[in-house]
Amino acid sequence: MDTRPPSQSEHAPLLTASGLEVLYEPAGGPPVHAVRGVDISIGQGQLVGLVGESGCGKSTLGYALARLLRPPARIAAGTVVFDSTDITNLDRKSLRGIRHNGLAVVLQSGMNALNPVRRVRGHFHDVLGAQQRLHAAEVDNTAETLLSQVELAPSVLDRYPHELSGGMRQRVAIALALALKPRLVVFDEPTTALDVIVQRAIMDTIARLQAEVGFTALIISHDLGLVLGATDQVWVMYAGRIVERRDSPALATGPLHPYSAALLACQGDPTAEKVELGGIPGSPPDLSKPPEGCAFAPRCWLSGPPCKEEPHEKLVGTGSVTCHMAPTKLEVPKLIRRVDGPSEPIPDSGHGAKVPTTASAAVAKGRGRHRDATTAEPLALIDVTKDFKTKRAAPSEGVQAQGLVQAVAGVSLRLEAGQAMGLVGGSGSGKTTLGRMIVGLERPSSGSITLGNLRVDKLRTRDLPRYWRRVQMVFQDPYAGLNPLHSVGYTVGRAIRNHQGLKGDDYRRELLRLFDTVGLAPPEHYAAKLPHQLSGGQRQRVVIARALAAKPQVLVADEPVSMLDVSLRAEILHLLGELRKNTGASLLYITHDLLSARLVTDQLVVLRQGHIVESGPTSSVLRSPSHPYTVELIAAIPTVQQSQTVPAGAITERPGEPV
Amino acid sequence: MRTTIFRVAATLWANRKARAGLSILFVFAAVAVLAPLLAPYSPTATNFARSAPASWSHPLGTTGSGQDALSQLLYGTRISLFVGFGAGLAATIVAMLVGVVAGYARGPIEVILGFATNLFLVIPGLPLMIVLAAYLPTRGVGTILVVVSVTGWAWGARVLRSQTATLAAREFVAAARLAGEGIWRIVWHEIVPNMVSLLAASFFGASTAAVLAEAGLEFLGLGNPSTISWGTMLFWAQNSNALLTGQWALLVAPGLCIALLASAMSLVNFGIDAIGNPRLRER
Ligand SMILES: Nc1ncnc2c1ncn2[C@@H]1O[C@H](COP(=O)(O)OP(=O)(O)O)[C@@H](O)[C@H]1O
Ligand code: SF4
Ligand SMILES: [Mg+2]
Repeated sequence: MDTRPPSQSEHAPLLTASGLEVLYEPAGGPPVHAVRGVDISIGQGQLVGLVGESGCGKSTLGYALARLLRPPARIAAGTVVFDSTDITNLDRKSLRGIRHNGLAVVLQSGMNALNPVRRVRGHFHDVLGAQQRLHAAEVDNTAETLLSQVELAPSVLDRYPHELSGGMRQRVAIALALALKPRLVVFDEPTTALDVIVQRAIMDTIARLQAEVGFTALIISHDLGLVLGATDQVWVMYAGRIVERRDSPALATGPLHPYSAALLACQGDPTAEKVELGGIPGSPPDLSKPPEGCAFAPRCWLSGPPCKEEPHEKLVGTGSVTCHMAPTKLEVPKLIRRVDGPSEPIPDSGHGAKVPTTASAAVAKGRGRHRDATTAEPLALIDVTKDFKTKRAAPSEGVQAQGLVQAVAGVSLRLEAGQAMGLVGGSGSGKTTLGRMIVGLERPSSGSITLGNLRVDKLRTRDLPRYWRRVQMVFQDPYAGLNPLHSVGYTVGRAIRNHQGLKGDDYRRELLRLFDTVGLAPPEHYAAKLPHQLSGGQRQRVVIARALAAKPQVLVADEPVSMLDVSLRAEILHLLGELRKNTGASLLYITHDLLSARLVTDQLVVLRQGHIVESGPTSSVLRSPSHPYTVELIAAIPTVQQSQTVPAGAITERPGEPV
Repeated sequence: MRTTIFRVAATLWANRKARAGLSILFVFAAVAVLAPLLAPYSPTATNFARSAPASWSHPLGTTGSGQDALSQLLYGTRISLFVGFGAGLAATIVAMLVGVVAGYARGPIEVILGFATNLFLVIPGLPLMIVLAAYLPTRGVGTILVVVSVTGWAWGARVLRSQTATLAAREFVAAARLAGEGIWRIVWHEIVPNMVSLLAASFFGASTAAVLAEAGLEFLGLGNPSTISWGTMLFWAQNSNALLTGQWALLVAPGLCIALLASAMSLVNFGIDAIGNPRLRER
């Protein structure tokens, strides 16, 4: 690693790291080399984004910079200099000194780390009282000021964490981090697990605070689109290294590293006439066995013979890139495309596309055999409502007088056979409840749900299993949706036995076929795995395979990609689109993500607080929304200027590569 | 299920406290099995001097009726372990049945089982045991085992019930229903295997209570006084005023054994807690 001058010209560096290496040395496992030689610096007052997929070492790097690493992690080499002080080896006591007026971290899921039995006021007392020896009244004053900075009312001080929505809790976590007037704040995934509108509001708050209060910030996220719009500079991290470090506008318009370009291709504008989405097949390498040569090579469509050697950092303007081929023309292969009109997944391109071929072939085979006389039937909801009793009124959700929450308030809709309908809305809009009623996991309070002639809402519990041969659900959380103790082959196999009644060789063949259909090849290999041995995307494929085992006519997919990295979105959506085309099943796609709704659905229903506020063909609803809520949803999507300007330099293109 | 048990056992062994507890339990078990080899005399032989103080031939002295105290102590391990683990197992099985059904079922069953659990939780245990033991027709180890099991399941049932309710709300349970699984299959294959560490905790908790209760009941004379156990040793020592004759070993030795066995079981339970609650997990 060569040392080089800090690249920020107008900002004096507040924090510099050079040659930073971090190792996890867990007791019973191999050491994990999570950060592998990172040189960076952040200027005073800068807003920097750190992006990459899960497991690339972003959080580890953020913690290392803030000296918050806990065993088994340790800084194995390199230095961290904060405000001209080398803090690499500071002891606990001196570290406490820099916590005040120094470094603060808003932890990943920090909003869930608030003590549930302590009011918000208590949390402020803990932080301010202990560190600054303030009196109670002063603490309250300061706390109220901090809350108002994050746009919360002083009354929040008297609430318990569980009485606050996710967005409000995140704001409290931010206010707490700002309590000690830090000069550098690390935000680790500040908006993950929040819906689009809240995401946008939190990002706006961070940007505004940063300008007003004047701290320097590092925002860690797996969502490049979210970070690009809000930051001055972005670092792209892959397998423990920074592979590209650029000013945000430059990165948005001309990424130089294939990984950055691929991440950028996972973003799109759902309101455009033509929407294309790329994905990054495969997953980041296991950092307990750091790869030889370029770590991205197995997933890189440009990789060539030189990539067997570790690439060196090349300076580009105020930033840098670490790739043998850079700068070059970067055309990212797209996995899924949608133009106004019927859906059009991209034909097999050979790039990460074991999915389509096997899927089409396998599904087509299965179709002739099983999709019999029972032709698909329309699903109709008439005036469906669902009330939940609440013990205690939760704020900011449609609360009615006697502790009743109306989750769904008179929804009527019709999903024609073979159609794909999107159901979009923010959190608490009743999407999931509606989906669960349709699959019979929940019973409506009033109204009717019919599939063909069958009254779904009147089904007895013991008739439900037969209904589930016709209607299936893909669950949101691929981590909670699979029993951690069963091999995924067992999980899918049970559904085959129950719904298709197959045994012996037929059973075995069907199991392998399903794994193959969802792109888990070789099937024998995957069927034996336990869920924790699979990545999030692979788990979600298993969840889809289990739903398909029933050969359903209607598939309800509840946010199937919201818990996954954006890099996996295109693949899973592609798979869903293919399956639908090949099986003729209709799809109800529940999401808060308009982009994915645009890519897989024909019809769109916008739900707000249990009411349908707008519906119609997907592209027209998105391109000319008429309800203010739809407009708000669309406005919340981070927009990325994606003009693909070709960076200067040699333009190499390997022949025979997919478009 | 079997793999889960192995996993829990391995994790337990990795925990310092649990390992200490398990080692002590192992020693007790070995003593119970090998008592005939280890004991210098028959525990029931009464042909020694009565109330003799500690000596080379009788390291703990002899009892008021002329038996060797050390031999009694070694043989007594059998009853304590048998009642402890037997009642612990019985109570855990009852707790699991009641807890899992109450946690998963809806409607009247849930209410009735919940009521029964709470009832047994609020009735003070020792008085209930005394009443039961006094009124049951036979006296002996079997009676004590039944009494201790009947009074010992409620705590475990409550914990298992709330865990079942939590697990039943997890997505994988809903997913298993959609996959066409029946209720028993969901309970036995999806829910129970995810509660192995709680079941183990429940077992060791109930066993600890059973060891103490057994000794307590026999000390109070509610067992069969001719059984050889730590509880009856205490009962006889008390009856023959062992302290007045300076034979404190007759009281202290069984008392220490009871305390050590109960502590060992609690240590194992600390280890199980640490598995379930990562915050407590030791490095
Ligand atoms: N406590 C830990 N013990 C061992 N390895 C860990 C631990 N925490 C994280 N890792 C590993 O370190 C690598 C980077 O993780 P992390 O910093 O969380 O990445 P990111 O924030 O980009 O998702 C991953 O390979 C992860 O599995
Ligand atoms: S082109 Fe080569 S060096 Fe560049 S990212 Fe791809 S594999 Fe790595
Ligand atoms: Mg992270």
